[in-house]
Amino acid sequence: MTGRQKLIGSICTLLGASLLAFVLGVIAPGDPALEVLSMNGLNEPTEAEIAAKREELGLNLPIWKQYMHWLGMVLQGDLGVSYITQQSVSAELIQRLPITLSLACGALAFAIGFGIPGGIILAMFHNRWIDYAGRAWITIWTAFPSFLNAILFIIAFSEVLHWLPTSGYGTWQHFIMPSIVLGLGTSAVLMRLTRAAVLDILPQQYIVTARAKGIHMFILMLRHVLLNAFIPLITVIGNYFGGILGGAVIAEVIFSLPGIGRFAVEGIFRRDYPVMQGYVLFMACVYVLFNTVVDILYGLIHPQLRRSEVLK
Amino acid sequence: MKQRLKNIGLFFLIVSLLAGIIGCSNVANQTANHADEKEIVLAAPRDLAPGEKDAYYTSIITYVWEPLVGMGENGEPIPGLATSWEMANGAKEWIFTLRKGMKFHDGKPVNADAVVTNYKRHWEVSPKNSPFYTLDFKKSYAGLQAIEKVDEQRVKFVFEQPQPTLLYAMENFGSPIYSPDSFAENGDFKGIPAGTGPFKLVSHEKDHYMLLERNEEYYGEKAKAKQIRINVIPDADTRFSALKSGEIMGVIDLGAISPDQANQLKQNHDFSISVNKSSVSHYIHPNGTKYPFNDVKMRQAVSLLLDRKQLVDSLYGGYATPTATMINAMSPFYVEQPIEHSPEKAKKLANEVLQGKRKSVTLIVPSYGIDRYPYKAQAEWVQAVLKEIGLDVSIKILDGAAFKEAQRTGDYNLALATQGLPNMDPYTLLANYMQSHGASNKNYSLGYQNAEADALLKDVQKTLNIEERKKIYGCLLQIAAQDWPTIPLFHDATLVSSNAKLQGLNALPYGVTLPQIERKKE
Repeated sequence: MTGRQKLIGSICTLLGASLLAFVLGVIAPGDPALEVLSMNGLNEPTEAEIAAKREELGLNLPIWKQYMHWLGMVLQGDLGVSYITQQSVSAELIQRLPITLSLACGALAFAIGFGIPGGIILAMFHNRWIDYAGRAWITIWTAFPSFLNAILFIIAFSEVLHWLPTSGYGTWQHFIMPSIVLGLGTSAVLMRLTRAAVLDILPQQYIVTARAKGIHMFILMLRHVLLNAFIPLITVIGNYFGGILGGAVIAEVIFSLPGIGRFAVEGIFRRDYPVMQGYVLFMACVYVLFNTVVDILYGLIHPQLRRSEVLK
Repeated sequence: MKQRLKNIGLFFLIVSLLAGIIGCSNVANQTANHADEKEIVLAAPRDLAPGEKDAYYTSIITYVWEPLVGMGENGEPIPGLATSWEMANGAKEWIFTLRKGMKFHDGKPVNADAVVTNYKRHWEVSPKNSPFYTLDFKKSYAGLQAIEKVDEQRVKFVFEQPQPTLLYAMENFGSPIYSPDSFAENGDFKGIPAGTGPFKLVSHEKDHYMLLERNEEYYGEKAKAKQIRINVIPDADTRFSALKSGEIMGVIDLGAISPDQANQLKQNHDFSISVNKSSVSHYIHPNGTKYPFNDVKMRQAVSLLLDRKQLVDSLYGGYATPTATMINAMSPFYVEQPIEHSPEKAKKLANEVLQGKRKSVTLIVPSYGIDRYPYKAQAEWVQAVLKEIGLDVSIKILDGAAFKEAQRTGDYNLALATQGLPNMDPYTLLANYMQSHGASNKNYSLGYQNAEADALLKDVQKTLNIEERKKIYGCLLQIAAQDWPTIPLFHDATLVSSNAKLQGLNALPYGVTLPQIERKKE
């Protein structure tokens, strides 16, 4: 795929995602005007008040006009204003982004730092007790839902051991539990994939030859095994980063981190269309960006792939 | 040998790294503990300082700003910034006298000019949203013609029509006063506002925390704590863990702690619980626009069948108060209606409607109710009980917006719901529920029509005498306890908890005694 085709594909992805989010938001039961007017649970608006608010928010316009209006604003760099908080959606996303990114990067670092070396160790001790124990570990953490992990971690490390804070942010200790909880599932997947990839490569002729030549196992692993195993791993990491960002919602709610995930959840519950739209568009941008980074990494790790693209 | 030395070296490197990490963590904890000596850390389920775009910037329970008229323990109007008031010209004019010598946090004087500026701003921005109360002076001060400065300490409100219950509308969120310099031109706040309260808001981060500092210039009794930090912890279990771990010293605000968690802490001497009345009541809304709840007998049957005391004792730890009265007991106009529990009568009435057949009905439950209250268990309890009168209940949990939509379109039979008192004068609430075109009546598909109720609600608007009004409200409450436009279950309780090392954290009907909080002396 050429650069131009990729760009067109990316724009289509962003438009498609935002349109889908818009349509889903509109067809979901609930009226944003009623939400705005009854947000404190005390006041009950009259029909006339609801109608006036719908008019004010532009909700009486045909759906396509509402979407086009929003799209027009996006093209001018404006994601609109939240119906509920009256704050600029772009400003809110920018303010909350560092928290979510810190959390997601922490989770990814944990997943990679724990999953890849773990997978190599399991492959090296193939069919020995370490391998069996590791596979059980993988099954457990792939199956355990992250909200349950979060609760168990809080009880263990905050309530009982008093090692880590339960919630909030401000110090690096605040990110340890949320990052681990968020990255555990991905680390288990990475461990399993690394193990499988290394096991595939180890019996290859060039590895056997290298070993016969007396190359140190560490060098062999680093230069020949891991480099070849990285291609499928990077694809998985690229895809899972999006998953981690999406999954950050749970960690942000439980660990009281005011990130974009929590912002989006509140927006969805309140049918705050500008927030929902802004979040989806933003996430779609992150996905597109990350896929591009993955493509670049392919070329860097495996120059043959880059050359074959050029030859085409 | 060389390899062995390498391994030993590696081992020590790992151990040192681990020790470093744990050491850093301990240092951080020590720093945090040291900081705790200066400030008291509490937590709330929501952000109590939503900021510049909010109608009030911060909730009244943070004691940053004060109203002209406050609310007493029993919902009655008490002096706030206004020490006294007088009604004139048949309740068409009200004159308020301000406390002398008061200053806002920014040093500006609290005088009649400041009050007039505040009211102009409040009027211009009305209706303005807030998660606490909607600021809608065009409704709560309906027919206001003028606000005039009488002299430096007195302001006069002039109305088109008599306003005998104005004071109830002015309580707390009904008359907030800030330094005039706090407002931007568009009516939003211009940075952190300057109020008159015992605490100054020093800093805050949206959805994260707010930091309060004692107002050393406060005209009344000064706050005991120098600094209070209120963290935002929305998840109930995390909040509970933070309290148990000692990370926070207390929890405040609506739904701060569930009755079940309070009972767990009761057994533990390291924590104390404080309970007070609440202005929130819980109900079952019947969909009166369709069978079987369009028949008053069916609504009566449900009310007679539900054992409210059992519900409160088993699911709300006995903290709540069972009721059959439609308005909250906090209202000074409350006239208690007797609770009747009679399964036999209920079965008879239901049988008259269902004619011996069974009927499937849907009970909708809002997801926010599950986060804050044991609504799932409550729904299952209702499901089990209603089986006895031939109703097969299926439970549907909906998010807030979908729940409201289902109520509005009538796509439900029964709904678990809460209702706070928008005003201590229950007119708005009763009119919303009982008037043929009442907002709640329409929005919840209650389908309630009663000519007598309509007439009484018209009468009450013309009644200036407070005792007369109370009588009319009594009649309306009696009608509500026969017709059941909605079925009241119980009045909620304000529950808060604190670490035993803290003293003075007591629940109020709305908020806590924040200025009284202090660490116990060792």
